[in-house]
Amino acid sequence: MSGTKTTTSGGESKGRERPRLGIYGLTGCAGDQLLLIHTEDHLLDIFEAFDVRSFVMASSNPVEEELDVAIVEGSVSTEEQREHLLEIRKRAKILVAAGNCATAGGVQAMYAKDGSFAERMRRVYGDDVKFVTEPIEGSPLDEFVTVDYYLPGCPISQSQVLALLSRLLHGEQPEPYPHPVCHECKLRENRCLLLDKKFCLGPVTLGGCGAACPSNGVGCTGCWGPNPDGNFEEHFKLLQSFGMSKDEIIRRVRNYGGHKILQYIKDLE
Amino acid sequence: MSKTERIEIEPLARVEGHGGIRVEIKDNKVQNVEVRILEGPRLFETLVLGKTPEEDLSIVPRICAICNLSHKFAALRGLEKALGVTVPEATQLYRELMHHGEMLESHSLHLYFLALPDFLGYDNAIAMAEKYGDVVTKALALKKFANKVMRIMGGRMIHGENPILGGFGRLPDHRTLQQLREEAEGFLPFAMETIDLLASLEVPDYMERETRFLCLKPPHDGYGYYGDILLASDGKEYDVEDYKSVISERVVGHSFAKRGRYQDRPFTVGAIARVLNLGDRLTGKAREARDRLVNERWYRNPLYNNFAQAVEMVFSLEDMVRVIDRLLELDQPEIARPTRETGVGTGGVEAPRGILLHHYEIENGLTVSADIITPTAMFLDDVEAFIRRASESLLSKNELDNFELRLEMVARAFDPCISCSTHLVTVEFE
Repeated sequence: MSGTKTTTSGGESKGRERPRLGIYGLTGCAGDQLLLIHTEDHLLDIFEAFDVRSFVMASSNPVEEELDVAIVEGSVSTEEQREHLLEIRKRAKILVAAGNCATAGGVQAMYAKDGSFAERMRRVYGDDVKFVTEPIEGSPLDEFVTVDYYLPGCPISQSQVLALLSRLLHGEQPEPYPHPVCHECKLRENRCLLLDKKFCLGPVTLGGCGAACPSNGVGCTGCWGPNPDGNFEEHFKLLQSFGMSKDEIIRRVRNYGGHKILQYIKDLE
Repeated sequence: MSKTERIEIEPLARVEGHGGIRVEIKDNKVQNVEVRILEGPRLFETLVLGKTPEEDLSIVPRICAICNLSHKFAALRGLEKALGVTVPEATQLYRELMHHGEMLESHSLHLYFLALPDFLGYDNAIAMAEKYGDVVTKALALKKFANKVMRIMGGRMIHGENPILGGFGRLPDHRTLQQLREEAEGFLPFAMETIDLLASLEVPDYMERETRFLCLKPPHDGYGYYGDILLASDGKEYDVEDYKSVISERVVGHSFAKRGRYQDRPFTVGAIARVLNLGDRLTGKAREARDRLVNERWYRNPLYNNFAQAVEMVFSLEDMVRVIDRLLELDQPEIARPTRETGVGTGGVEAPRGILLHHYEIENGLTVSADIITPTAMFLDDVEAFIRRASESLLSKNELDNFELRLEMVARAFDPCISCSTHLVTVEFE
C-alpha cells in the first residue's frame, strides 16, 4: 500500500469559510445518506461547497467539532443514540432531520405508543436481558431535540436535499413543500388509481417523491408520512367503499406514519 | 505491548450502518475480538405479522437501502413460493435485469468508493480523485448507470414499489431496453480496465487463514445470483428450504446478534464465495477477468472479495446484454396470480454481499411468521476470525503501524451491511 494521507475535504477553501457540515445516521436503512452519495453529479460539488467534517458512511477520520449544519437520518432507537443526538444538537447551529425515520420514526415506529414495544422486544430477545445501551422504541428526532428543518421521504428526494443545501449555503431559509402526492401525480398526467377503486394513500401523504409509485400503477403506501392538509376522514370513507375495513386502512396508514400519523387518526379509530 | 490494551475502532467508517471493532490484547496476545453492531433494534419480523404480502413487499426492503432490491427479490421469491405463483420467463428476466442494476450499484459503490481508498492510501474517494480522477469519474458514471437501472426496474432509485407479486407495475419499453443495452456495453472497457488496475495492486497477507464459502447455485448452467440450492465450497449441496439445519445460528456473549455457522464453523458469503464456487461457469470477458485475477490465495484472503466484485461487474454488464436481447424477443408478461392463500416458502437470492434468505408463512392471505437471514449475519463470525488472525500476525511481526486501519480494511473487504444484520437482534448486552 502506498500512501499519502489527505484531509477529509477534497476542495480547497476559496477565499471564504465554507460552512461546516456533518452527516449522521442513527437507526435506519442508511438510504438517506446513500441518496446523498448517489447524487453523483453533485457529490463533488457538496464536498467543494461545504467543509464536510463528518460523514462516516463515506469517509474515515471525522472531525467532531462545531458545525454549521448537521443532517441526521434514522430514528432514535437506543439510549446511546439519544445521547449522541443531544450532543450533535449542541454542536450544530442548524439541525436537519432527513428521511422518514428521523422525521416520523420510520417503519420501526408503526406501532408507536400502542404499548407493544416491550412485548415485541421480549418476543425477539427473550426475557431478562440487560442491554449495555437501553433500547428505545424508534422515535423521530423531535421527540428529543428541536429540529430546524425537515426533509421527509423514504428515502428523501435528491432535488429537495440539494435545494435545502443551496439555500443554507447562501444563508437563506429552505422552503417547506406542503403538497400531497396527488399534486405530483396530476402533474405527471397519471390516471387516478382511486377512479379504478385501487388502494392509494396519495391524497393524505406528503409529496416530493414525484408520485413514484402511482406513476407505475402501484398505489401510494404513504411512505413520506402524513400530509397535514389531508382529509383523512373522507379518504378513509372512500377506501372503505372499495370494500376495505377501517382496521386495515388504519393499519396500512400506520406502516409509515410513525409518530406523526397519530394526531390525524386519533378520532377515526 | 506488555500490558492489557484495548483497541477500539469506532465508528467503523465507509460501511453501511453503525458498527465498530474491539480487540483486547494482553501481553502481546489477542484475548478477544468483537465486531460490535451498534444500531438499534427495528424488529422487522414483528413488523410484517398480520400484514398482506403486498405490505410485506413494501416494508422489508426498508431493512437496507443499498440492497433494497435484493430484499424485494428474496421476499418475492419466498412469498411466491408460499402462494403458488409461477412467473413467466420474461418476468424472471426483468428481475434479473433489476438485480444486475443493484449488483453494479453496490459493487461499484463498495469497490471504488469504500474499499479502493484503502488500497491506494486515502481517507475517501473524493480525496483519491486528485490523483485517480479518471477512475473516480468513470466509477461515478458506472454507479449512475446502475442507479438508473434500479430506478427503471424498481420504480425509484431506493425503495421503489414497482416490483410486485407476480410481476411489475410497469415495464420499460423496447427503446429504453436498447439504450440500457448500449450503455452496458459501453461500460465494459472500464470494467476491464478496473481488472488491470486491481491486477497491479499488492494485496497484503497479514490476515490469511483458511475458511469455507457458501453461495446459491443457479437453476441453470450459467453464473447467476439466485437459486434454491445452497452450494458449499466442500462440494456439498442442500435444499434452501432446509436452511435452518445447514446454517446454524449462534448467540454470542458480547452481542445479541445471532451468528451464522456452517458445520459449526464460520464461513464466508459474497462475491468471493460466488466467484470461487461458480467461477467455472463464467464465459466471455468475465471469464477472462476471473482467470486473470483468481489465485490460490483467494481461499485465505478476504481482501480479494473486492477483486471478485470487479469480476462480477464484468459479468453483470455482459449478462445484462444477454438478458435484454432475450427480452426484446419476448412479449410483455402478464402478472402471475396466487393460486392459494396459505403456504410456506423460502426465497433465496444472492445480495451483493452474499446469500439472503427470506422465509414466510402465510395463512389466509396474512403473514403469521417471517424469518430473514442476511449475509452480514452469516459472515460476521468469519470477519471476527480474520480480524483475530490479522491482529495476531501483526503483533507477532511487531508491525504496529496503521494497526487499526489494517483491521478495518479486513472488515470493510466483506462489505458489511450493518443495517441488514441489525434488523434481527443486535443490541449488545452484558
